[in-house]
Amino acid sequence: MTITALLPLRIRFECQLAWRHLRSGGGQTWLTIAAVASGVIIVIFIMGLIFGLQKKFTSLLTEAIPHVTVQVPEGKPIPYADIPGSKGGLSSSRSELQAPQRKNIDDWRTVLSVASEIPNVQTVSAAVSGQGFASKGANPVGVSLTGADPAEQERITPVTKNLIAGHYLGLASDEVVVDYELAQDLNVAVGDRIRITSISGVPEPLRITGIYSKGQGRGSAYVTLRTGQSMLGIGNSVNVVYVKVFDIFGADAVAERLSVLLDCEAKSWSSEFPNFVTSLQAQSASAYLISGFTLIASSFAIASVLIVSVQRKAKQIGILKSIGARSNQIMLVFLFEGLGIAVAGSVMGAIAGITVVYLLSLPKQAVGRGGGSPEAIFPLILDPLYILAAMGAASLATVLAALLPARSAAKMNPVDAMR
Amino acid sequence: MSAAPGEAVIETIGLKKTYPGKVPTPVLFGIDLRVVAGEFISIIGQSGSGKSTLLNILGALDIPTGGVVKIDGVDISTLTEDGLAVLRSEVVGFVFQAHFLLEELTCLENAVLPILIRKGEATSEELEWIRSLLVRVGLGEKLDKYPDTMSGGENQRCAIVRALANRPRIVLADEPTGNLDSHSGEEVFRLMRQMSSEVGIAFVMVTHDERLAHAADRILMIEDGLMRPVAVKPRIAA
Repeated sequence: MTITALLPLRIRFECQLAWRHLRSGGGQTWLTIAAVASGVIIVIFIMGLIFGLQKKFTSLLTEAIPHVTVQVPEGKPIPYADIPGSKGGLSSSRSELQAPQRKNIDDWRTVLSVASEIPNVQTVSAAVSGQGFASKGANPVGVSLTGADPAEQERITPVTKNLIAGHYLGLASDEVVVDYELAQDLNVAVGDRIRITSISGVPEPLRITGIYSKGQGRGSAYVTLRTGQSMLGIGNSVNVVYVKVFDIFGADAVAERLSVLLDCEAKSWSSEFPNFVTSLQAQSASAYLISGFTLIASSFAIASVLIVSVQRKAKQIGILKSIGARSNQIMLVFLFEGLGIAVAGSVMGAIAGITVVYLLSLPKQAVGRGGGSPEAIFPLILDPLYILAAMGAASLATVLAALLPARSAAKMNPVDAMR
Repeated sequence: MSAAPGEAVIETIGLKKTYPGKVPTPVLFGIDLRVVAGEFISIIGQSGSGKSTLLNILGALDIPTGGVVKIDGVDISTLTEDGLAVLRSEVVGFVFQAHFLLEELTCLENAVLPILIRKGEATSEELEWIRSLLVRVGLGEKLDKYPDTMSGGENQRCAIVRALANRPRIVLADEPTGNLDSHSGEEVFRLMRQMSSEVGIAFVMVTHDERLAHAADRILMIEDGLMRPVAVKPRIAA
């Protein structure tokens, strides 16, 4: 009775009696608390698993790519007749597209300056990008060439963390970093020299200083910006500006803003991978649905236990009314009983759920790609927001489940109840 | 709550009760009753004659289908459900055949329960008063015991103290000794008589036990839904 002395007088008796009901309920009370806790555990696990997987896949995809890519829009040929001021007469309506080729961004420093001022932008980097062939001896292999300042590029598409040999930062103008697959294809190692010929036809002998593995893509090579400009023959220009943002789901807005400000073509990562975004949304919806159904199922179980509890206490309800208890007092007793179960079940469920998720996140397995470090079998995450939401939702479902039996208890006729 | 001698605590005029159903069952046909402060009344009658129904109506647990019932001067037909609850809390005390103590609460907590229901907590004076009553009824050593560890007589004595907790003006007892052996029954009855005379609380007791009934101030018999007085032949000293 000491702790209850802190409660307002208006609800003190109701709280005291609810507590005594729970305490004397023994096994039944624990079973009901376990039902709530189970719901919370399942919700925390499902949320942890699905959002953990989402985070892993999204991170795998977006950490290795620029979030926004800025380029000069490629001009499309238009029929002669559509050109303003063209003379009439017969002309062909057929137009032939050129082979894709990136246009140069001459004033790229202005682009960097404007882009870095936009909210949510984390870092920007100018680069040259093009195709070529890498060869060691007689067999050329197709290669995607990126020329950029290593320190800046590192912040856009991390290379160093994926290195399995050598280094990327501090790359010299006659050096190159290649991916693991390209190194395998060319049968080369760090220190070997290869020749890369860009589409402009200029062969460039380069020494391999690093080999990396991202587990995706094949045949990529990184050189310095100056080397890339030289190989692609674009002088001091670049042909692409990469942007990395803080919130990857805000990349669309950044791309839109850049398009408006710079009169250029800015594409966000999500527009490049629309199916991926759709699948993320479907996964989130599934997680919410499973959690919702779990809580509904557990609230039905709780409601049925509390209904039986009210029926068993019918005589007590009658006697309480005969000694002056009002209907709302009776209702509050059973609501507080439900609230007690909700709080205890939520807290215990949260503790158990966090423990389960933590333990399941410990087992590791080796990754399939070469040289990678082991990763968790279950990529679970623990987000305090989801844990609190699961506790809140479970508590609400339990109190709602308690409302029905509480109301029926309040409506009981004392004379009938005591019979 | 003290009562002036001769003042009506409960008064019924032409009280009628018919239970609804496919075939309505009339039970009480017009009961006129006046209970004054400090009075001890026994009500006798055959099973099914309507004694418990009358007691439930007198205690505002049930409502009549006709006539007027005034408790502490208030016509109960004018009260809301909460109003009736306040009346049951402040004016009326109940003792039933079964003790109906809450098994989750100790003897002392059960006895204090009406006060907790009424205002959330008992003052130290009220607690002292309840303790003294429990000591008086021989439960001084049982304050912290739960009902399932006490005898039937002890539980019923605790139930009587509970009925007195809010210092009501009237206690309605429905066969309070019905579940007890004759010794415990007489003990409980003697206790109620003492409380009635010492605290000035009116008692209306329904009983099948003629010996106990004849120890009351007044005996009333319900027969064919009507009430008639019976001459008192005292057999048990109060």
